[in-house]
Amino acid sequence: MTITATPPAKIKNLPSPVTGQEIVLIGVIAVLWAALAVSTPAFLTAGSLQPLLVATAPVALVGVGMTIVIITGGIDVSVGAAIMVCSVITAKTLVGSDVNLAVAVLISVLAGGALGLINGFLIAYGRVHAIIITFGTANLFMFLGLQIFGSGTVNGIPGTLGFFGRGEAGRTLGIPHAFLITALITAAVWWYLRHTAGGRHFFAIGGDAQAARLAGVRVQRRVLLAYLTTGVLVGLASCFVIAQGTSTLDQSVGSGKELAVIAAVVIGGTSIMGGRGSVLGTFLGALLVQTVASGVTQLGWRSQLSDLFVGIFIIVAVGADLLRARARRSR
Amino acid sequence: MRPRFAAAVALTATAALALTGCTKKNDDTAASGDAGGEKTYKVAFVPKLQGVPYFEAMNAGGKEAAAALGNVEWLYQGPTQADAAAQADIVRSYIQQKVDALIVAPNDPDSMAPLLQQAKDAGIHVATADTDAPSSVREVFVNQATAEGIGQGLTDALLTAMGGKGKYAIVSCGQTAENLNSWIEVQKAYTKEKYPEAQIVDIVYAGEDQAKATQMATDLMNAHPDLTGLVGECTSSAPGVAQAVKDAGKIGKVFTVGLGTPQAMKPYLTDKSSTAAILWDVENLGYLTAWAGAQLAQDKPFSATNNVSGDLSSVTYDEASKMLLLGPALQITDQNVDQFNY
Repeated sequence: MTITATPPAKIKNLPSPVTGQEIVLIGVIAVLWAALAVSTPAFLTAGSLQPLLVATAPVALVGVGMTIVIITGGIDVSVGAAIMVCSVITAKTLVGSDVNLAVAVLISVLAGGALGLINGFLIAYGRVHAIIITFGTANLFMFLGLQIFGSGTVNGIPGTLGFFGRGEAGRTLGIPHAFLITALITAAVWWYLRHTAGGRHFFAIGGDAQAARLAGVRVQRRVLLAYLTTGVLVGLASCFVIAQGTSTLDQSVGSGKELAVIAAVVIGGTSIMGGRGSVLGTFLGALLVQTVASGVTQLGWRSQLSDLFVGIFIIVAVGADLLRARARRSR
Repeated sequence: MRPRFAAAVALTATAALALTGCTKKNDDTAASGDAGGEKTYKVAFVPKLQGVPYFEAMNAGGKEAAAALGNVEWLYQGPTQADAAAQADIVRSYIQQKVDALIVAPNDPDSMAPLLQQAKDAGIHVATADTDAPSSVREVFVNQATAEGIGQGLTDALLTAMGGKGKYAIVSCGQTAENLNSWIEVQKAYTKEKYPEAQIVDIVYAGEDQAKATQMATDLMNAHPDLTGLVGECTSSAPGVAQAVKDAGKIGKVFTVGLGTPQAMKPYLTDKSSTAAILWDVENLGYLTAWAGAQLAQDKPFSATNNVSGDLSSVTYDEASKMLLLGPALQITDQNVDQFNY
């Protein structure tokens, strides 16, 4: 694919549309799907693939925001707790007053946006590293969520959000809505990050924030925007989470999701050091993780094996990223 | 070295608790702390996690018992996730508060055992409830139902719906949960013995994650197209397996039963995606737990049959296994689900 023999002094304007990591991921997923198709009775049927795509959606969607955040050199470990806050607010609203789908989504997205704004503001203007700020806000959000839960679960959630669910109401022409929405948002953000000046600024900040500032990038605004976007996507993903759960919501919702999301981002080839990455890779990373989880169950293997595989993927992906970085430096 | 480490852990735990919102409860205990003039006994119960209807119902029962007994202060605090380490921190804090009786529903019985020893060394009466720590120094285990009662209840309810034969799978939760595993052992043995034409094809572990339990149940149905039954082994997977059957449009083809709390199971019992929930009266379990704690704190022995309350007039105590037994398991269906408010 590399036709241009770029002289070392000159920097390409745009990276290639698909990174090597993404091609590898597509290959791995294709091989896994093919292997599962022959070794299990029903992996490659609609009844299996549709739920798999639905289950991929929340992690992939939050992963879009997380990718932008990590590209700027930050991280957001509060997304699990934020999912909990958005889910419980939305679920309680659905139970308490008979709001429709659009209002429920709006409430969730507003709640997520507000939480994202808190993170973004503190990180952009507080000059403390993102992992410390979001670790703090994660605990605050957790407190907030548990307060809203009170001392019980939310029971009797109506099927309003079934539009995003696993069931019949969650599909059009066989395509799950949650997955379709996630794919469209991923595509839009992919285009924005790659083809607009504003999008490129995120990479510039992650590469060298000081240099970006001197080059005229409004660093603080961009950083704020990254966390705000993540918050908004957390809000939407929370609606997916409610739709995929049962009619009862308990306080374990969202727990550990920040690690699942970061795993998808890292497996997707985004550099944890910032400056490089792609939402397409994250999307594929989320799909790979869910494929492994479903595959392990459908093969009748022990449940913990999926943790083992995800761990291996992360280490391989980070290792590959470090090797690439070293290769770039030595050039 | 070790005490310093423990102190550091306790300190961190306190800080973490303050952050995660348990401050209110800490204040309560501190306020009513050492100043007890007349003798009230502090009975502390540490659930696997708090905020889930199951343990909140136990808490309600415990409070009720404390009010009825008069000389008992009921303390209740658990981790916000079913996490053995977080639970251990809470147990340590109760040991430092020198409660009179400490009752735990351990997330991990093995790692809880040394802590119970530590409590005993500090002069605290220790017990387990809901989940046992068999190899520990606990003085009594307050058992909701025998493993046989639960395992056979689940199996009978499911296989009645399945017509006595066919393949089924189990979606369990924590892989180290002693009680879940003991029920599963009974289910395996009892199915083999009583329903030779039935077969357990797989047992998977979803943790306490509802969405994961639902997805795993979906995957199991795909892995075994001839599957006709699913068991949700805990309160988060019981509605999960029913939801999966409902989403797959397989109500009436795949039957589910589970250990579910009544209000969470109600929609599924009503639309028949769940045949029955097997449970026990959780509030009574909490009542019995508090009562047992009070007995221990006052150094009163248990008799073979105990008159605990109006509802619990003949609770049996087994001397050999040091176990109080709440009674037989309860089958909750769409017929009686409305009798329970949790």
